[in-house]
Amino acid sequence: MSEFTDAFDLHVNDALMWLNDNANTLFEWVRASLDAAFRALDWLFALPPYWLVIAAVFIAGWFAVGRVFAVGAAFGLWLCQAMGLWSETMSTLTLVLSSTLSALLIAIPAGVFIGLTSGLMKTSDVVLDFIQTMPAYIYLLPGIALLGYGPTTAMWATSLVAIPPAMRLTAHGIKMAPVSLRELGAAVGMTRWQTVYKILVPCAFPSMMAGVNQSLMMAFGMVVIAGIVGSGGLGQSVYDAVRMLQIDQSINAGIAIVVLSIVLDRFSQRLVKFDTEKSHG
Amino acid sequence: MNMMKLSPVDVSAVTRPVAIQCRSVWKFFGNESAAAIEAARKGTHDKDQMLDKFGCVVAVADVSFEVYEGETFCIMGLSGSGKSTLIRHFNRLIEPSVGEVVVQGKDICKLGDVDLRQLRSRHVGMVFQNVALLPFRTVLENVALPLEVQGVSKKQRLETSQAALEKVGLKNWAQRYPSELSGGMQQRVGIARALATDPQILLMDEPFSALDPLIRKQLQIEFKQLSTRLNKTSIFITHDLEEAIRIGDRIAIMKEGRIVQIGTPEEIVLNPADEYVADFVEGISRLHLVKAHSIMSPGADKVPAGAPQASLDSDLQTLIDLTLTQKSEHIAIVEQGQTLGVVTRENLLKAVRGIEVN
Repeated sequence: MSEFTDAFDLHVNDALMWLNDNANTLFEWVRASLDAAFRALDWLFALPPYWLVIAAVFIAGWFAVGRVFAVGAAFGLWLCQAMGLWSETMSTLTLVLSSTLSALLIAIPAGVFIGLTSGLMKTSDVVLDFIQTMPAYIYLLPGIALLGYGPTTAMWATSLVAIPPAMRLTAHGIKMAPVSLRELGAAVGMTRWQTVYKILVPCAFPSMMAGVNQSLMMAFGMVVIAGIVGSGGLGQSVYDAVRMLQIDQSINAGIAIVVLSIVLDRFSQRLVKFDTEKSHG
Repeated sequence: MNMMKLSPVDVSAVTRPVAIQCRSVWKFFGNESAAAIEAARKGTHDKDQMLDKFGCVVAVADVSFEVYEGETFCIMGLSGSGKSTLIRHFNRLIEPSVGEVVVQGKDICKLGDVDLRQLRSRHVGMVFQNVALLPFRTVLENVALPLEVQGVSKKQRLETSQAALEKVGLKNWAQRYPSELSGGMQQRVGIARALATDPQILLMDEPFSALDPLIRKQLQIEFKQLSTRLNKTSIFITHDLEEAIRIGDRIAIMKEGRIVQIGTPEEIVLNPADEYVADFVEGISRLHLVKAHSIMSPGADKVPAGAPQASLDSDLQTLIDLTLTQKSEHIAIVEQGQTLGVVTRENLLKAVRGIEVN
């Protein structure tokens, strides 16, 4: 048996090497484009002064979520600035948003497709379970081998772990759309494609948004871990502080992560509520 | 039976053009092999044997009928009798295993994708038992859905939909969401949606079954008025014979996929084809169903002078009221100045009890 597992490990290694040797151009291209996207967003978020960002969150939070939240969020973000972690906070925000966004670009179409087919659900569940239960550190290694040390690898690993929840819940939402509504689509003369985007996808929207929220939270978990590979931002601050046993620094960065994740969570939960309120008066 | 009895119905039927035709339609779920079809056709196997031997369920068995233009044709049967499967053949949501379905002169099983969608979006409207409104659209946007599929411009389709909502008495609810409406109102929206494209044919799949009795009766009456006024051809599925009688010009009674009897409400109540139909008919009030022409004794000679007069189409209730108020044993049945026969109190009593009069 050990011969077999050894052989398996050897092949995995070989495959990685082979990819590195032969598909170098491809990965170089992937790295360059992810890097460019990351830098553009990072630049964008770093552009406004901190008080403007805080004011924007306060106003949006006040109207979209609640007054208590708005005050708390503004205070929390101000704390990040006061602790001297503002640029790290913004670059973590960039990383989380860009990774989740690229994860959703794959997860939502794939989820819709799987929801429409009858047989693929079980297969995809196995694959997604595999991705979700695999220790997240593992994804960093092929990233380092193929994409190098830096935010690009962090983005790749973060995107990967952010895919399963959104994909699963999108597929689930499509599957759960009432049979009578599918029949309605056919009865009014819709094409299959029209039934999908006029009926099924809107029906699945609340479930989809719950998936987006969960994907966002998964991405947050990964972004901290990705500090190891030089992601920059708060993850790196935590990792550096841990390595040098600077308890105060690690706590500061930890608080900033908590603030940021709560702010993003509440805003994205709001997306789910927005849709359900519309349909239930 | 005398000749007068069926002639008014028959004459109008023969001259009316046919809107929908169903020619020996069979539908098997599961195994649709030739052997199974052959066995079912010969009638050698019953329901359980078909399932055991061929692994198939016969949902619709050898159904043939015609629906005339402007007619409301009710298909009545208990759950599992195949009526909901049958109605889905008329816009080909379900394909027949054997047989032809002709809608407005075209065998719809032979239509290509584009023509089929055309048929569904322009010529055949459908109303569902569970309404099937989209929860994320307003009432108006729901009604506009079929027009949207047709590619009608936004302004035009909202105007048309608003007009359709007015027809069902919901013009002030256009901007609400379906969840804000009661069950009866939701079903009106369903009807408005089916009417929005002004289709010639309406398929009504137990639209009122889930509503409470008072609302149901009100909607039945409104539907009948609306479909008569707009001159729609409708196929109306129901499990309630009273509903079928109230709405239908003719009724088909289904049992285990077969049609056991087709006729006007009066024919079905007066001459049930078998025990099964007779059981249904038993509890039905005859007062508005039975007409003078089916209970009178023909011949002008038996009519005493000065007897009150009534027309051939007077129903039982009118005749009873007449004999009571006029204190007369006989009622003369007169049509276009000619005395055709007489109805006595004995005839009336027999008619109420359901005993053959002549």
